[in-house]
Amino acid sequence: MSQTNQNETPILEVQNLKKYFNVSAGTLHAVDDVSFKIYKGKTLGVVGESGCGKSTLGRTVLHLLESTSGKIFFEGKDITKVNRHELTQVRRDMQFIFQDPFSSLNPRKTVGEAIADPLMLLKGEKGSQLFEDVIRMMDTVGLARRLYNTYPHELDGGRRQRIGIARAISVNPKFIVCDEPVSALDVSIQAQVLNLMLDLQEANDLTYIFITHDMSVVKYISDDICVMYLGQVVEKCPSDELFANPLHPYTQALLSAIPLLDIDQEVKHEILQGELTSPINPKPGCRFASRCKYATAKCKEPQEFREVSDGHFVACCGVTGQ
Amino acid sequence: MAKDNILEIENLYVEYDTDDGVVKAVNGVSLSLERGETLGLVGETGAGKTTIARSILRILPVPPAKVTQGTIRFEGQDLGKISEAEMRKLRGHKIAMIFQDPMSALNPVYTVGSQIAEGIELHQKVSKAEAAKRAGEMLEMVGIPRERYTDYPNQFSGGMKQRAVIAIALACNPDLLLADEPTTALDVTIQAQVLELMEQLRDKLGTSLIMITHDFGIVARICDRVAVVYAGQVMEYGSKKDIFKDCRHPYTMGLFNSLPKLDKNEKRLKTIPGLMPNPMDLPKGCPFAPRCQNATEECMKGRIEPKEVTPGHFVSCLYIPERGMSV
Repeated sequence: MSQTNQNETPILEVQNLKKYFNVSAGTLHAVDDVSFKIYKGKTLGVVGESGCGKSTLGRTVLHLLESTSGKIFFEGKDITKVNRHELTQVRRDMQFIFQDPFSSLNPRKTVGEAIADPLMLLKGEKGSQLFEDVIRMMDTVGLARRLYNTYPHELDGGRRQRIGIARAISVNPKFIVCDEPVSALDVSIQAQVLNLMLDLQEANDLTYIFITHDMSVVKYISDDICVMYLGQVVEKCPSDELFANPLHPYTQALLSAIPLLDIDQEVKHEILQGELTSPINPKPGCRFASRCKYATAKCKEPQEFREVSDGHFVACCGVTGQ
Repeated sequence: MAKDNILEIENLYVEYDTDDGVVKAVNGVSLSLERGETLGLVGETGAGKTTIARSILRILPVPPAKVTQGTIRFEGQDLGKISEAEMRKLRGHKIAMIFQDPMSALNPVYTVGSQIAEGIELHQKVSKAEAAKRAGEMLEMVGIPRERYTDYPNQFSGGMKQRAVIAIALACNPDLLLADEPTTALDVTIQAQVLELMEQLRDKLGTSLIMITHDFGIVARICDRVAVVYAGQVMEYGSKKDIFKDCRHPYTMGLFNSLPKLDKNEKRLKTIPGLMPNPMDLPKGCPFAPRCQNATEECMKGRIEPKEVTPGHFVSCLYIPERGMSV
């Protein structure tokens, strides 16, 4: 985040958020001590591989999953402590766009009905007002009006994802968690949907958490990026900084693993050995250490998430400050 | 043919006869693959990539699928004319396939090792013990300890399952390997491991490879030649350099422009407007014409034949620009 925002109150602040699941083999640390701030109108990208806790983080932040511990301040109010009535208001302000446009829509509801649902439930709209607003939402996200009475199975993935976006923005939220909204789409459709999301953000001053595993998508859409590994944020900094100066060994490996479009460059791929270890009953030290080529004895101790240069945070004892 | 082509596909048409109508999945595709070469088949969902690969192996579900026209020759032999018994001898032996989804490509009730040994025993006519020994070697070759031979697929992670699938495909040292999105289901660090492994094994064994993917990054890394497929037709076909440094078809350019680039800061992506055409109701002329900015009425009239713009670089478009686009 740039300095201009330092004096503002963040729209969302997450402090030491934890979400553990009790499974038969022990305690699964899906989100483990995550803290961050997001300012209004900005996008925080969350990247990581499957199983790193990105989606759980998104759901816990919206209070769709009860957190194990930690605080979530939305516009200064801790939403982990609100009552049912207040939660309705929170739901209106904080929305979610789901990953899979194939399973996140009710197959028995038409496009019109699907978009009407949140308007009825959260804003109490009905009658002609409701119909007008549904049509307005369809225009906004680029769904032709003739599709009003069609069912999701008649539509392609891009259009279905537009329904999901229309549902999310219909209640004028301030903040949206987007969980891999384009990963099920083809590139030409993906570009259309990404542009739409940026247009909506500009028009309505929306704040996004954008969860993805695609590094080029996250760079395109984010102001700041968090890199997650097994439930923990290992690096966080402005988007350009992350790609120019990745500090955590995991971030470096992740970036070098992306197949580039450049056919001339003889890229020396840094192949990461091994695979993700289990997030069940993890040991206190760095969770990446078993795959890290720089690992030392110090990595067995808990890692501090510290600011090594302006706005650049990293959880690695091997990184020296500048 | 002067060149040593291991595979030649000529004017292939494949249809699916469904309750709703006839889906025209592949519409006049001609491709050839030189021995030892890697061909990338790139395109979006529904472009017909997988159907092309499956028709080579003759594993399309018939019906509803039907090859209506065209020939596929493997080492000079017309695969459309040989008997099922002969085809079975080729499948998994001379021609093998790596399937897209490693989670469902393995049989959950057999051990991973026995699934690798099955093909070896069948095609190489060796004893059970010998097949098991070779299967163990294959496991080690793809970087899985031999002790895991008796494990079941559910005991493997996604990356290991895909390695096991690769081991099955390569077990009989095939001359031609068809890889259908082999890394799409995997995370990027695991994808990098699997691509590296495939590259090494291809170079070591001299296998010819058809790589089906939607990811131009993988094409840039692993392929020699590229065919860009759209609605069952090849839009542009050429060497990797032709496609990445001198692409001429509006669809190829549109695809490249749609990709967010890691080395550029763009405010908005250039998109291709519109959607893929309905495969039951394809436009008469160029299938891309309804989404193309340069399209005229001429484009809608009939099939557009590929033109050779530079040696080996074919473009199916009426309005080919003088100079191409470089990524």
